[in-house]
Amino acid sequence: MPDFTVNDKYEQSFAITGEVYNGFIQVFKDNNPLHTDETFAQTKGFKGRVMHGNILNSFISYFVGECLPTKNVIIHSQEIQFKLPVYLDDKLFFEAIVTGIYESVNAVEFKFNFKNDEQKVVAKGKIQIGLLS
Amino acid sequence: MEKGEILQQVNAIFIDVLDNDDIVLAYETSADDVEDWDSLNHIQLVVAVEKHFKIRFTSQEIQRWKNVGEMLDCILTKNA
Repeated sequence: MPDFTVNDKYEQSFAITGEVYNGFIQVFKDNNPLHTDETFAQTKGFKGRVMHGNILNSFISYFVGECLPTKNVIIHSQEIQFKLPVYLDDKLFFEAIVTGIYESVNAVEFKFNFKNDEQKVVAKGKIQIGLLS
Repeated sequence: MEKGEILQQVNAIFIDVLDNDDIVLAYETSADDVEDWDSLNHIQLVVAVEKHFKIRFTSQEIQRWKNVGEMLDCILTKNA
């Protein structure tokens, strides 16, 4: 599998801009007040509206589709754990490391994390991709 | 490790990956006999087996398997 080696590391930065946030709501219609109502979110102990966790999954889609050394890829699975809230205009630093290569079935596994500006992990997980022939 | 013991461990992997507690594999079991053992799940099963036994198969090897017994034979040769 020439494009990948175990321990290969990929890094990418993302920002949860108003365009990303509003676009996500416009497309998926998740208007839960935790995401849309500043006062509601604060009464629940957060400093402001909590961004949808699945925005981060969308960043993973971008990573797999656009940042890998080949376009011949498909996502088999991804698992994510959300550790800390993410807020509007947060800048996120994404890091993914190749943890396994399975040539028999043309699959590659990564572990990843997103860190915020304070270098705290806000989400982490695993991705398995398939390489298309 | 004996073939029967490997079968038990592979059975547990199938139960976990396919999320089906009712799976009971035998040597002659094939993909046609197990609900949800489709091509995508086959990838997950192979990856899980490779991880569990700390082995790697080749694509030629897995294409030759006609049933679970042949998968177990392949695992046995790599664990020998």
